[in-house]
Amino acid sequence: MKLEIEHLSKHFSGNQYPAVNDIKFSMQAYEILSFVGPSGCGKTTTLRLIAGLERPDQGVIRLDQHIISNTRTFVPPEKRNIGMVFQDHALFPHLSVFDNIAFGLKGFTKAEKKDRVSELLELVGVEPLAKRFPHILSGGERQRVALARALAPKPALLLMDEPFSSLDAHLRLEVREQIRNILKDSQSTVIFVTHDQEEALFMGDRLAVFNQGKLEQIGFPETIFHDSGSRFVAAFMGDSDFVCGKSMPSGFQTELGLLEQQNDYSPGTDIEIAIRADDIDFELNQQGNGRIINRFFRGAFNFYRVELDSGAIVHVFKLHTEIFQPGDRVLTYFNAGHPLKIFTR
Amino acid sequence: MFRTEALRSTNRRQNKPIPKIAFLAGWVALLAVVPVIYILIRALTGDPELWQRIIQTRLIKLFSNTLWLVLAVTSGTTLLGVSMAWLTERTDVSGRKIFRWLLALPLAIPPYIGAIIHLALLRPHGGLISQWLEGTNFASLPLPNPTGFWGAAFVLVIFSFPYVFLLSGAAFRSLNASFDEAARMLGHTPWQTFWQVTIPAIRPGITAGALLVSLDILAEYGTVALLRFETFSSAIFVQLAGRYDRSAASILSGVLILLALVILYGEFRIQGQSQFTQIGSHWRPTTLIHLGKRRIWGFLALLFTVLVSFIIPVGLLLFWSAQGILDQQTISGMQIGSKGLLSFIFNSVWSSGFAAILAVLFSIPIAIYVVRYPGKVSRLFSRISQVGYAIPGVVVALSMVMLVNRFLPFLYATPLVVVMAYVVRYIPQAVRSSESAMHQLSPNLEEASRLLKRNALQTFVQVTLPLILPGLLAGSALVFLSSLKELPATLLLRPAGFETLAVRVWIWSEEGFYLQAAPASLLLVVISIIPLYFLLRRETIFRQ
Repeated sequence: MKLEIEHLSKHFSGNQYPAVNDIKFSMQAYEILSFVGPSGCGKTTTLRLIAGLERPDQGVIRLDQHIISNTRTFVPPEKRNIGMVFQDHALFPHLSVFDNIAFGLKGFTKAEKKDRVSELLELVGVEPLAKRFPHILSGGERQRVALARALAPKPALLLMDEPFSSLDAHLRLEVREQIRNILKDSQSTVIFVTHDQEEALFMGDRLAVFNQGKLEQIGFPETIFHDSGSRFVAAFMGDSDFVCGKSMPSGFQTELGLLEQQNDYSPGTDIEIAIRADDIDFELNQQGNGRIINRFFRGAFNFYRVELDSGAIVHVFKLHTEIFQPGDRVLTYFNAGHPLKIFTR
Repeated sequence: MFRTEALRSTNRRQNKPIPKIAFLAGWVALLAVVPVIYILIRALTGDPELWQRIIQTRLIKLFSNTLWLVLAVTSGTTLLGVSMAWLTERTDVSGRKIFRWLLALPLAIPPYIGAIIHLALLRPHGGLISQWLEGTNFASLPLPNPTGFWGAAFVLVIFSFPYVFLLSGAAFRSLNASFDEAARMLGHTPWQTFWQVTIPAIRPGITAGALLVSLDILAEYGTVALLRFETFSSAIFVQLAGRYDRSAASILSGVLILLALVILYGEFRIQGQSQFTQIGSHWRPTTLIHLGKRRIWGFLALLFTVLVSFIIPVGLLLFWSAQGILDQQTISGMQIGSKGLLSFIFNSVWSSGFAAILAVLFSIPIAIYVVRYPGKVSRLFSRISQVGYAIPGVVVALSMVMLVNRFLPFLYATPLVVVMAYVVRYIPQAVRSSESAMHQLSPNLEEASRLLKRNALQTFVQVTLPLILPGLLAGSALVFLSSLKELPATLLLRPAGFETLAVRVWIWSEEGFYLQAAPASLLLVVISIIPLYFLLRRETIFRQ
């Protein structure tokens, strides 16, 4: 294992809840792991604990089989061989692009520095900017220089803290693809922090979902999306709606009708079903079980918000040609070709 | 219970090791606060009979004199400073750009030089205006008495208002146009908008300026002594220099410091509030008010102010200096023994420069500690190191005399005592500059350096220091400027023969040789303008 973390906790004085609460996971070499969760969920604190910028209250961090942090040892950040790309890039304003990238190359001769820096300038594609100073670079250029600087000393692990959040939306899509290619080409082991689910799915080979200081679930993107480990993960990662029901031997009885699905629940258990907009459908029906409240036009399809008679809200995709009016009574029913995720209440 | 206690303490040590910088900061805070504590102890343990006598004979008079002067000068500077700032920042009066500079430049003229010019012009019989009037039909015209309360208040207002002008100008400048526009869209007239939106928004800036002026007036010695208006500062000076009565001086100083600490406490509280006037990313300047036909009156008000506070004083100094240099007798009078103006310049520059360097060096640990480790302890250290604002020069001198005599006798009667006094008195200015420089430095830069294999010290040298250097230089310029103008502590602490420009100006003018003092005064003003120019260029209202 490249990185192993056990029982990692951190409580900032003055806060009611711990920022990081008993976290455990491990990483393979050359893997990109996305940390994702709402703001204040502990993902950035975990990153800073790994970097050595904060001291953990307890727990063990091992990098390449060496302990870099436990109750007795605390290796300072400069001795950990970990690189970091900051949210605001943190390029040194008094140094040129070249000197910024060369900053971490301690113990290199002048010629070696030059070679390594040009290698990285080429890798991230900013060769002509070597002599410039950070304040005249564009957002995307700064992003790439910050990455080059972090990669230059060949860190054992690279940490990226919401690196795209300062970029415009359209630039973000373009830059993240470039960055992911660079990370893969340079065979880096990376932890990537973001609060954006879509970005996490795009960047990560695996995902770690955080909530209130806890690691809720870690796994492959498909698993996280289709087999959410908790109601929170289903809601946060999958934009799921929830419908209540009771278990039966043959399936689940809900206000959308019977969902036929094998299960081990004792009959009569109160459950919730996570539903995505493509798992259900509706048709106009005066005797139906809900009412359209809004239609959102999304180009290729219409996205309907339906209020069920119980008050629960669900969302439904329809083709762009199928237009219904808000207020129409509808009959909503299950239409999924796969088992849905069930949580006990 | 014993066990849990032990566990807790190891746990705490591990989570939050006390940073090494805290110890350095602690030493600086201690250094800054010892003089105040010492004086307060001396005052409280003073002979009760002496206390009784001072309370009965002196205290009420001194209290009322000092408070009235502070009140008058503070209101005067606020009124003048805010109106000048309003004219140059918010209206379309002509020549705003040049007036901004001219209104800030009186900061290069120490008020006691202003008082000298004031006396040279207006004193009955000997004064230039009085003499000129005697030759005309207006000989019987009653001239206002240049000395006393009104004289002192007038001189102090015209040479102190730039503090308020700069702070309120910055506040006007940082106001976002959208505040004004929002108020107008909600149905307020421009006049209502001014009183209900603009003034409340710039109030922290104005108040901070006014409180700093009050502290300055409490500390002012030269002006009140020349114009014969007795305040705490001048009374303490007399006790020390004339009667060598340190016990009485300690008691008076104790009372003065308590008064100043109350004002300083108010100033600390305001500091926290001035946050919301900062310029955000969507800032747009407010539109200028069109004065129309009243423009000429605005222009005349500005012109009159800069004439009185800068152009006439400097013009007269130039004129008298030229006159003095052409006159053989005056120029030979400027030679004191083997020493001339050059030696005074040298003494002024090295003592102030040395104090500036020391003050900034000492301020660095405080700034790092309070900005990077915010908390109750670090804030306490930062505030303690700023009590120098509340110790007037005469009081610093008194504590230095007593402390050095007792603990560092080998320093006694060396110019180093003078330098130490400057450091204690003006380190707050360095602390503020360094703190604001540290605040502007993103901690991410230092963290990035740590992750790029630099330890804490290397990070400080290679990243922090180069980036906060402009702020540190500004702090040292400020301390240099203040030390250059400092008078009472220098007079009381200087060894025989150690004469600075300020000391020489003072001695000549006390002896009545106002014209002889002119070249030295002019030099003092000119040397002051150099650091002042550097400082003003960093001010909000002089940036484009």
